[in-house]
Amino acid sequence: MFISKVMTRNVVTIDKDDDISQAQEKMSKHLIRHLPVVDENNLLIGIVTDRDIRSALPSSHFIEENGPEEWKRFSTCKIKDIMTKDPVTISPQDTIQDALILLFKKHFGALPVVVEQQKLIGIITVRDLLREFINVLGLEEPGTLMGIIVENKIGQMKKIVDAISEENISFGSILVSRYWDEGRRAVFPYLLTQNIGPLKIKIKKMGFTLLDPMEW
Amino acid sequence: MKRTGYLYDERFLLHDTGPDHPESPKRLKAIHQGIKDAGFLSKLTIFQASRADLKWVETVHEKNYIERFEAACRSGNPIFDYPDNRICAESYETALLAVGGILDAANRVLMGKLDNVFCAVRPPGHHAEYDQAMGFCYFNNAAIAARYLQVEWGIQRIGIVDFDVHHGNGTQHIFEEDPDVFYYSIHQHPTFAFPGTGRAFETGSGKGTGTTRNYPVLPGHGDKEYHGLIQRDLIPVLEAFSPDVIIVSAGFDAHVDDDMSDIKLSTQGYTRIMEKILALADLYSNGRVISVLEGGYCLKRLPELGANHVKSLLGI
Repeated sequence: MFISKVMTRNVVTIDKDDDISQAQEKMSKHLIRHLPVVDENNLLIGIVTDRDIRSALPSSHFIEENGPEEWKRFSTCKIKDIMTKDPVTISPQDTIQDALILLFKKHFGALPVVVEQQKLIGIITVRDLLREFINVLGLEEPGTLMGIIVENKIGQMKKIVDAISEENISFGSILVSRYWDEGRRAVFPYLLTQNIGPLKIKIKKMGFTLLDPMEW
Repeated sequence: MKRTGYLYDERFLLHDTGPDHPESPKRLKAIHQGIKDAGFLSKLTIFQASRADLKWVETVHEKNYIERFEAACRSGNPIFDYPDNRICAESYETALLAVGGILDAANRVLMGKLDNVFCAVRPPGHHAEYDQAMGFCYFNNAAIAARYLQVEWGIQRIGIVDFDVHHGNGTQHIFEEDPDVFYYSIHQHPTFAFPGTGRAFETGSGKGTGTTRNYPVLPGHGDKEYHGLIQRDLIPVLEAFSPDVIIVSAGFDAHVDDDMSDIKLSTQGYTRIMEKILALADLYSNGRVISVLEGGYCLKRLPELGANHVKSLLGI
């Protein structure tokens, strides 16, 4: 799946000459933690995160002791002074897998999506990936998850899929845990039905082991 | 002994789901036979169903959905909305009869002619959404009963206790924002069971925040866990809400011998659950309990489960 399909297109951005309090306002209004910083031509020049803002401000205890004017003094700092310049970006033609690995490896929460000359066209965040994860698991459709242990050899999955199809049951998703036990895999079909009793019996008769749900 | 009503109508058997479907007419026959064999029929006020006025169904379901369901049954198509939902030409009328019977049951309880009632109906209802059939359910019987109590009888606070092994997604969603209807469901954890909703963090929304409660139970658990949570959680929560009437979504598929789930309630375990609910109703709801059949598919166990259920209602 391409980034262009998953990213958020209406990006909330900020100007480098805006101040911290404006950034805070935008973040809390839109429930977000990342603001790409763009110039007048919508070219990406930086990114400012919730953490950048927190570390630029004095602690709430300090403000309590020294008065709100202290907060004002810091909250008028400019974005350009706290932002990360030239942040890591991703292209709309990259894939969701690219984003998954990049965000995981770099410990980032979001990646601005840019096209040639750093023109900002979107943003992809951990939340976008979570939404897609819910989607690929089929969690928003009513169904029942099954757990089946199979030998690690060719053709096992086909038997299971055939057995399920013969019962006229649709798949919401199917996951494979490749390394369950030595030489064995666990297959988790999510089936769009309430009625898996007969299928369970059939799968057992075929010689497969159903996984005890408490062992998942 | 309480004055207990028993809604049973052979026309509920006309909803034909075809061969090998677990939600079969045999379920109802088994329950009825169990009640009969236990010698309880003479102790019960038995009554048959009358067709519901559509205006009550419309208090819960989208008009267009009701029409779609009727058309699907007329068309001869054996499936409605999901392959799980098997229908026949009579399914629409049967579903209307079930609703009508339950509303009649509600009248009898509210008029004081009955203390409580068991509505042995098909098709079941708690998965049915505002505009969608799901999990063998077409009209949400319990939800329509609750709306009827609100509108026709001006009942302020209604408690719905759902102990079917599956989460009653339809009932929850219909009353999610309603602070006057408390939906309490105990069911197998949604990661391991249909339909995948009913997580503990689903607690209602808007004005109804706090009047939805889900208690997921892990696979393999049974009597001990159920009774612990009833004692610890269900009783204090419903005491605090203090419902004027309790509707029970009675599903018997958490029984250890029912292969629809991995929950291991015993027959006695079921009786104890119902007794706790009835004791609550005696304290807070003037004993008024309207029990509506949901799931339960083990034909071997349904006779005893049905008989014990009625026995608890009778208080004998």
